Amino acid sequence: MSLKLFELLLKASLYTIGISLISILIGFAIAILLSGAMLSGRKFFSAPAQIFISFFRGVPLLVQLLLIYNLLPVIGINVPSIVAAIVGLSLCTAAYQAENLRGGFASVPRGLIESAEMVGFTPGQAFRRIKVPIALRLTFPALVNEAILILKASSLVSVVGIVELTRMAQDLAGSTFLPLEIFASAGLIYLVINLVVARAGGLIERSLPGIPR
Amino acid sequence: MRAGFLVRGLATAALLLGTTFSAHAEDALARVKAAGSLKVGTETAFAPFDFIDAGEHAGLNVDVFAEIGKELGVTIEWVALPWEGVLPGLEAGKFDMVAGPATITKARMERYRFTPPVAEATVAILKKAGDTTITKPEDIAGKAIGVGKATAQLAQLTAYSETLPTKVDVREYPAFTESYADLAAGRIAGVANSLPNIAFVASQRKDTFEVVLPPFGQKSYFGFIGTKDADHAPLMVAIDAALLKMKGDGRLAEMQKKWFGASFDTPDSVPDPAF
Repeated sequence: MSLKLFELLLKASLYTIGISLISILIGFAIAILLSGAMLSGRKFFSAPAQIFISFFRGVPLLVQLLLIYNLLPVIGINVPSIVAAIVGLSLCTAAYQAENLRGGFASVPRGLIESAEMVGFTPGQAFRRIKVPIALRLTFPALVNEAILILKASSLVSVVGIVELTRMAQDLAGSTFLPLEIFASAGLIYLVINLVVARAGGLIERSLPGIPR
Repeated sequence: MRAGFLVRGLATAALLLGTTFSAHAEDALARVKAAGSLKVGTETAFAPFDFIDAGEHAGLNVDVFAEIGKELGVTIEWVALPWEGVLPGLEAGKFDMVAGPATITKARMERYRFTPPVAEATVAILKKAGDTTITKPEDIAGKAIGVGKATAQLAQLTAYSETLPTKVDVREYPAFTESYADLAAGRIAGVANSLPNIAFVASQRKDTFEVVLPPFGQKSYFGFIGTKDADHAPLMVAIDAALLKMKGDGRLAEMQKKWFGASFDTPDSVPDPAF
């Protein structure tokens, strides 16, 4: 396998990395809103959030992508490939991340908040200084996990016309007849990307407040 | 009550649709020219029409559409999808037309508008070089034969299989390139695809593949695909004119020679399909 083919795979992996990174960040922002709605205790907020999460966790990502790409134009919203890919991945990961966050916040012991209020914390202070740091610490490993899952799931966006790493590998394997070398290289690139994500996640986790070094 | 609600809903939907259509009053050709680019949907796993040659999008489609672009004075914007997503993408308006090309069949003509043929599409068998168990098309009876999913070639193979004493073990692949790889690896005994495609594959890898002649399928042709609506009619007429002009001055024959090794005699208008 020539260096040129490997370069093409690396170039395609920029799509994999870019689309995944943007989707994880957008997904996280949506997840904060969703988990807030779920924990609000008001049906008006929690019911729509619950429906959103059920849909995006319950329908395969592949089907979601095809729906966004092919069905939205029927109601007059014609999104380009790259937008369909990012919207699909973002909404899907938002549903999972929201559940992670909700779980994290729900696991902060009530007693801690009560003690904080006893020593004179306002509810806002207790939320910022006690609840958020603990919840973040509890959910962070799951968020890194989700980032790795999305990086791998991003191979599905080829169905809406994005030539990312997996699709490029398929195209090259088809035209060069070197499937073994090309898929092995693609696998290696995924592995390296995910090792970097895992390592970065580990470093960030150690720098979070309240983690013993 | 319920029916009234439904009627009101439909009326609203119709109104909404009406406003979307009137929002672009000009036809597709005018929009393409105004935008300066023609969006073409295709599948990049259909050598020699459309494939990725060491990272470069190449093939007859790329050359033909480059010339069509020149005729219309626009650039070509390619959208590459898996084949089963290409025609749904056309209907959803993701692109102006489809390269493909697709075999011109009765069922497809009911739904789509074809350009004049650009190549013959009659289906034949590709086998491993030196395989003496398959010397004529009938020999595939009872053997595993690969073919692309959602293709006219699949329909032809299935129909042909019915006429054989033992049925063919039809294996469907997401794309033809994967079926070639499985044939090379010995997982299947042959691949059923149109003659220009397998002739190209065999010429690229003479030691591995060989074409079984004659073709078993009914005579058919490849054309590019557009939609039938009035909005796209002027665009399709302009594409037809560009293609016929290229045929007349020998550019198309030159490209056929470049990609198939020989030029084809294709009809000037869409022929009545045999199936």
